[in-house]
Amino acid sequence: MKEYAQNKLWIVGTTVPALLFLTLMAYLPITYAVALSFFKKSAFSPTMSWTGLKNYFLLLREADLWAALGRSTFFTVGSVAVQIVWGLGVALLLNRTFRGQTFVRSLFILPYLLPTIVVALVFQWLLNQEYGVLNQILLQIGLFRQPINFIGGLKTAMYSVIGVASWQYGSFVALMVLARLQAIPAKLYEAARVCGAGSVRCFWDVTLPNLRTTLLLLALLRGIWMFNKFDIIYLVTRGGPLKATETLPIYAYRLAFEEFDFGLAAGVCTFMFLVLLIGSVIYFKLFDPTKEIEVGR
Amino acid sequence: MRKGAIGKHLPLVVLGLVLGIVAFPFYWMLLSSLIPRTVLFQPPYRFFRLDLSLENYRDLFFATEFVTYLKNSVITAAGAILLNVVAATLAGYGLTRFSFFGKKQFAQGTLFSYMFPPMLLAIPLYILFSALGMRNTYLGLILAHVAISLPLNIWIMWQYFQIVPISLEEAAWICGASKLRALREVCLPSARPGILSISIFSFALSWNDFTFAFILQTDKKMFTLPIGLATFVEQTAIHWGMIMSSAVLVSLPTFGLVFFLQKYLLSGLRVGGK
Repeated sequence: MKEYAQNKLWIVGTTVPALLFLTLMAYLPITYAVALSFFKKSAFSPTMSWTGLKNYFLLLREADLWAALGRSTFFTVGSVAVQIVWGLGVALLLNRTFRGQTFVRSLFILPYLLPTIVVALVFQWLLNQEYGVLNQILLQIGLFRQPINFIGGLKTAMYSVIGVASWQYGSFVALMVLARLQAIPAKLYEAARVCGAGSVRCFWDVTLPNLRTTLLLLALLRGIWMFNKFDIIYLVTRGGPLKATETLPIYAYRLAFEEFDFGLAAGVCTFMFLVLLIGSVIYFKLFDPTKEIEVGR
Repeated sequence: MRKGAIGKHLPLVVLGLVLGIVAFPFYWMLLSSLIPRTVLFQPPYRFFRLDLSLENYRDLFFATEFVTYLKNSVITAAGAILLNVVAATLAGYGLTRFSFFGKKQFAQGTLFSYMFPPMLLAIPLYILFSALGMRNTYLGLILAHVAISLPLNIWIMWQYFQIVPISLEEAAWICGASKLRALREVCLPSARPGILSISIFSFALSWNDFTFAFILQTDKKMFTLPIGLATFVEQTAIHWGMIMSSAVLVSLPTFGLVFFLQKYLLSGLRVGGK
């Protein structure tokens, strides 16, 4: 009995600090923020007053919210698609032995781990209208006569941000897909070859089915992360020009820290969370990423 | 046989192209950081040049607040690593020795927590820290960084402690070792790679974080590197060479991690990203 009591004390002693910390620093604040969306709360006054669903009614009538939702969806779908295609391609390329493969693989992990500020600054410089090297190359080849304002242009800004984000996060997809590729037993390929399958056939019938779960989960995870992404978009464009790249997180930031309406901003964040929750449920119903495909048995 | 030759070399050509897309930004960052201001803006650009200088780095250290930002970043990251290691090691250990819920639930909980927008935590922390006078303090930012990295770190440590069989510990207890001594001398050494993993993970998260530092640290003296660097492009005459030199310096730890500590990095990456 004494042993049991001592054990219990030991367990409480080890897990409670972390649990208490997370409760105080994460769970309670998030609950507070969700609750905040039912209050009128300005950044300048310490008081808050209950307004029920008024913030949500205000928001749902706000054209900015729907425009931001549209941009968020475009950014998420666009950048996830590019990341998956790029990551899959890179992983397939790297999934062979060649000289210097350790170095090359490391190089491909780098973008994902770089501080976002570095990625943003480097691409602002590369894509700069007047002095950017990309514009210089395009002009010298004679592809364009005028330099393109990649980041500051109303039509190009969103595509630039998608490109920059995909450059950084595509390497995450590549890394995960590569790990899965290396786990596919070689005998599956041997069997396919014996049956007369070429490289293309091998890819469709052996590689892709084996990657199905990984790719579906990656698309979901990356989708969630890109939908919530604040830093890379804000750092590259500040949400501009005008509101061309103002996605939901940037809209929430603007409401909270430029218009000082915490209640409305919390409403936008809660709205984002609900969109993701519903989106993920639908995604699971449609694709069921955890469903394993039986291969080669 | 011609087709065979193309088939053999095509992947290499594509690999070269893809490599260029990944590597060129790094190369251009490094090269631009070494070109003096007076020549940087003179197109056409040369892709190889030898008229390099460290002028931009000198400007960075002596004409900006770079050193202050660096100091703030280092202090914050060190604090975040320390707190994360202590809390995650203890909790990871406790979880393996007493299972009140399964791994599956924990994993699902983690996936669920990804859905919370960072802003949903940043806004209440801003309000809370304003009330407590903890904005623009190291402690505030450290606590925020630990709050976003701790769940994943607990998960990693949990995985590591599961490798250590409880029978080893029991043997130590029978030999008269106290629980604490058994933990320290039997369990911790086996979990050392895990501790290194979470240190790296906590460091990377704190070092890279823009969102939380941007919202919580509004006083220029308390800016971390990402916030400080972001102000460089908001000045009127943008000193691109110097900005690239700051980008090079800020990414140095990342290079070190990727090329020297990759093994530990990957085990953390597998369970949690951003």
